[in-house]
Amino acid sequence: MISRRKALRAGAGLAALATVGAPSILHAQTKTLKITTWGGKWGEVMKATVLPAFEKEFKCTVSADQAFPFLPKLQVSSKNDPIYDVLHANSNEQWNAVVEGLVMDKITAKEVPNIADVYPYAVSDKIVGVTIFTSAIGLGYRTDKGLTKPTSWKDLADPKLAGSRGGYLIPVNSLGQAHLMMLGKVYGKGLTDLDAAYKALEALKPIKLVDFTGQMEKMLLSGEVSMGVIHDSGVYRYEGPNMQPVDFASPSEGVLALEQVLNVTPGSKVKELAFAYIDYMLRPDVQKLLAEAVWYSPANKKVKLDAKYDAKLLTTPEKVASLIQPDWKWYNARREDIDARVTKILKG
Amino acid sequence: MTTAARLSPIAWLIAPAGLLFVLFFVLPFAVMTAMSFYSGNPVTNPNAFLTTRHYERFIFDTAGIFHEALWSTLRIGLITTIVSLLIGYPLAHWMARMQSRLGHALVLMAVIAPMLTGIVVRTFAWMTILQDKGVINTTLMQWGLIEKPLPLMYNEFGTIVALVHIYVPFMVLTLTGVIGRIDERLEQAARSLGAGRLRAFVEVTLPLSLPGILAGSLLVFALSISAYVTPSLMGGTDVLTLPMLIAQQVGTSFNPNFAGALGVILLLVSLAIVVAYNRILARLAGGQGMA
Amino acid sequence: MRAAPNRRPFDAGRAAYLTLNALLLTFLLLPIVIVLVFALNPTPYISFPPVGISLRWFEKFFGSAEFMNALWLSLWVASVVLVLSIVIGAACALALVRGNLPGRAVMTAFFMSPLMVPAILTGLALFQAYLLSGIGRPVWGLIAAHTLVAVPYVIRTTLAVLHNFDRRIEEAAAVLGASPMRVFFEVTLPLIRPGVFAGGVFAFIVSFDQFPVSLFLVVPKGETLPVVLFNYMKFDLDGAIAAASMVSILLALSVVLVLERLIGLKAYVKL
Repeated sequence: MISRRKALRAGAGLAALATVGAPSILHAQTKTLKITTWGGKWGEVMKATVLPAFEKEFKCTVSADQAFPFLPKLQVSSKNDPIYDVLHANSNEQWNAVVEGLVMDKITAKEVPNIADVYPYAVSDKIVGVTIFTSAIGLGYRTDKGLTKPTSWKDLADPKLAGSRGGYLIPVNSLGQAHLMMLGKVYGKGLTDLDAAYKALEALKPIKLVDFTGQMEKMLLSGEVSMGVIHDSGVYRYEGPNMQPVDFASPSEGVLALEQVLNVTPGSKVKELAFAYIDYMLRPDVQKLLAEAVWYSPANKKVKLDAKYDAKLLTTPEKVASLIQPDWKWYNARREDIDARVTKILKG
Repeated sequence: MTTAARLSPIAWLIAPAGLLFVLFFVLPFAVMTAMSFYSGNPVTNPNAFLTTRHYERFIFDTAGIFHEALWSTLRIGLITTIVSLLIGYPLAHWMARMQSRLGHALVLMAVIAPMLTGIVVRTFAWMTILQDKGVINTTLMQWGLIEKPLPLMYNEFGTIVALVHIYVPFMVLTLTGVIGRIDERLEQAARSLGAGRLRAFVEVTLPLSLPGILAGSLLVFALSISAYVTPSLMGGTDVLTLPMLIAQQVGTSFNPNFAGALGVILLLVSLAIVVAYNRILARLAGGQGMA
Repeated sequence: MRAAPNRRPFDAGRAAYLTLNALLLTFLLLPIVIVLVFALNPTPYISFPPVGISLRWFEKFFGSAEFMNALWLSLWVASVVLVLSIVIGAACALALVRGNLPGRAVMTAFFMSPLMVPAILTGLALFQAYLLSGIGRPVWGLIAAHTLVAVPYVIRTTLAVLHNFDRRIEEAAAVLGASPMRVFFEVTLPLIRPGVFAGGVFAFIVSFDQFPVSLFLVVPKGETLPVVLFNYMKFDLDGAIAAASMVSILLALSVVLVLERLIGLKAYVKL
C-alpha cells in the first residue's frame, strides 16, 4: 500500500517534472540546425532568401557560422555534441574531416532523396558527402595582352609569361594543390605522379604566388599577371556592366573540379533536419537561385539556368564529363611531405 | 633609496592581472601544451596517444624548413623592430614636443590610422603600391629611373614594409609618453651651456628616452615575431615564418597538436629573449639612478 | 597666457627635421589614401588608378544589417576592453614597479607573453578551454580574450612612464602633508596618465581590429567587424570592405580624439 505521504510526494514530484519538462517539450518544436556557410554574395543570398524559406517550411531555426575556418572548430568540439550539424566545405576538407570521424562517410538517396537527380560526380567515390555545386579550375587570362586563348595546361609554362603568371601557396590553397596534381597528369603519368609534378613546378618559376583566389582575381584584374590558375566562377562574375578584359579557358587536358560539398556530423542531434537541409539545397529552384548568384555549376541534372549562365557553366552531361576529380584521400595522406617539398622548391 | 625586502601593499594590485592571466592564458595554454604531446585530441579521440613526435619533427627537421622558419621569424622581427624605431623616434619626438594642441591631435590621428585599416584591405593597398604594376614601379618607370620593375612584393622586403607600417604607431605611442615626460629644460640647460641642438639631443634626450626605446622595441619585436596574417599575404613563398606555419597547421593542415608544439617552441625562444632584454633594461635604468 | 617656452629658430636643421617627419607621415598615410580611393571608386573590384567617385560602397556598407551589427558589436566590445585593460594593466604595472615583488623581470616577461604567441593559437587555446569547461562562446568570453591580449600594452606603456618617474615629486607632496592615498590620486596617477592613455589607445584599437582571436570565439549573428569583413572578402572582391575600413578608421579616430580630450596625452604637469 502506498502511504498518503508517499503519494503526495510522488504527485508533487510528477507535477514538478511536468513543469520542468513542459518548456523542453515546447522547445523541441523549434529545433536549431547549425550549419556553416561562405560569406560574400553566397552568404547574402543564403541569409536573405534561402535560409528564411527553409526555416519557415521546416519550422526550425538555422544558425549559420560564417567565420572560416570551420574544421578546426569541429575538431575541438565533442563528437556527441558537435558544434555543427552540417559542414559545408570543399571536397579536400571533407576528406580531412572523415578521416577523423567528424563527418559521415556515406550519404545515399535514402536519407536525401534528391541525390537520385544529381550528376555522377556529385556522389562519386572521390566525394565524401553530397556535392551541391562545383566550379571548374582552369586558366584565367587577360584578353588585352595579345595572348592567344590557352588550350593546354602547358601554356602556363610559356617562357613569354615569365614573371607574369600566377599560382597559389600550395600548403594553404586547394586550387594550388589541385594544380600540382594536374601538373603530374599533364607532364607525367597521372594525377599521382608527384616527381613529374615537382619538376614541372620548378619549371614554372618565376611565378607569383598568392594565398587565396581573391588575390589572384586582383592580380589578373590589375594586369599584374597575364595568366593564372583560377576557377571559372572567379572570372565569370565580372560580366555585364562589370566586364573586364579577363577570360576563362578550359584546357584540353580537362578542368579540375572544385566541389562545394555538404556533409552531416555523426553526433548531430537533428540528423533528419540536416538531411532535409541537404535535400533542400539540391532542389532545382534553390540550385538555380544560388548558381546564378555566384556562377556555380549546379549538381542537380534537372536545373534549367538562364541562357547566359547555361552557356558558360557545366550544365550538360558532356560538359560535366570534362571534370577531373583528384583523389584527396591520397593527397591528404601525403600532405606533410608535399608541403615541405613544395616550399623548398618555390623558395627563393 | 630604501631597500625594503617586504612586499609592499601595492603588490596586491597585481591580483586582477594575475587572475585574468591564470584563467585565460595559463590554463588554456597548459591544455594546449599537454595536447602537443598527443597524437590527436584525447578528449574527442579515444585513439590518441602520448608522443613527442611533434617536437621531434621540429628538432630534427628532416623537411628542412622548420629551423629556417625560426630564423626567418627572428630575423624579420629584428629588422622590423630596428626600422620601426628609426621611423618612430623622429615622429614621437615631434609629437611630444609639439606646442599646438591641434597639431598634436592631427599627428596623433595620422599615426594611429594605419593600425585601424584592417588586415586584408591594408594588404590590397600595399599590393596596389608595391606590385610590379603598382604605384611605385609605374612611377619610377615613367620617370625612366628603372627599366624593369623592382621586386617589392611577395618577398621579405614587402613583408617588412607592411609590418613596419603596422607597428610604427605602437613604437611612436610608446615613445611619445616617455619623451613627453623628459623635462625640456634639461635640454635647454645643455644648450645654454654651449651644446648644439644635435649634441643636446644625443647626450641628454636620447639617454633619458632609453626606457621608452627599449619598451617600444620589445613591444614591436614581440608583435612582429608572432605576426602571420601579414607575412602570409605579402610574402608569397619567399617568406615562411613560424607563426605562418602554425596558422597553416591549424587552419589548413588541421593538425592542432603540431601547431601547439610549434607555439610552445616559439614562446620559449621569445621568452628567453624577453627576459634577457628586461635584465638589460633593469640594469640600464638602475645604472642611471632612477626608480 | 604663458609666453612660448622656446622660440624655435627656423633654419636648415629645423627644416630637415620637419621634412623628415613629413616624409615619415607620408609613408604612414599613403596606404590609407589608397584605401580611400578604393572606397570611392565605383568599379566593383579594388583597382587603381580610380575611374571616378561614387558613394555606392558606403551605401552598401551602411545598408547592410550584417555590417552594421558587426560594427556596433566591435565598438562596444572595444570600449569595455578599454576600461578593463586600463584598470587591470595600470594596477599591474604599479605593482611591478613599486610592489617589491620577487622575480620582477620574469613576471614582466610573463605578462608580455600574450603578445608573443600567434593570436590564432590564443584563439584556438581559449576556444578549446571554453568548450571543455562548458562555457560555450558568450560575449564575455570574447571580451575576456580581447582583454588578455590588450592588457600587455597598457602594462608596457605604463611601465615605460614609471621607469622615468621622479619620485621626489611624490616625496615632496608627502612632506607637504598629503596622505599616501592623496599622493597616489593627486600626484602619481595624473603623472602616469600619458602612459596609461597610450596603452588605452592600443587596447581599444587592438580589440576593435582584432581578428585571429575573435575568429574562434564569435558566434553566428555575433561576429565582430574584422571577422565579417575577412569572410566577405574571401568570397567577394569589391569596394565594400574599403568603405568599411574607412568608416572604422574614422570612428575609431573619433573615439581616440574624445579620449585624448578627456584624459589627455599632452596633459601632464610641469613643476
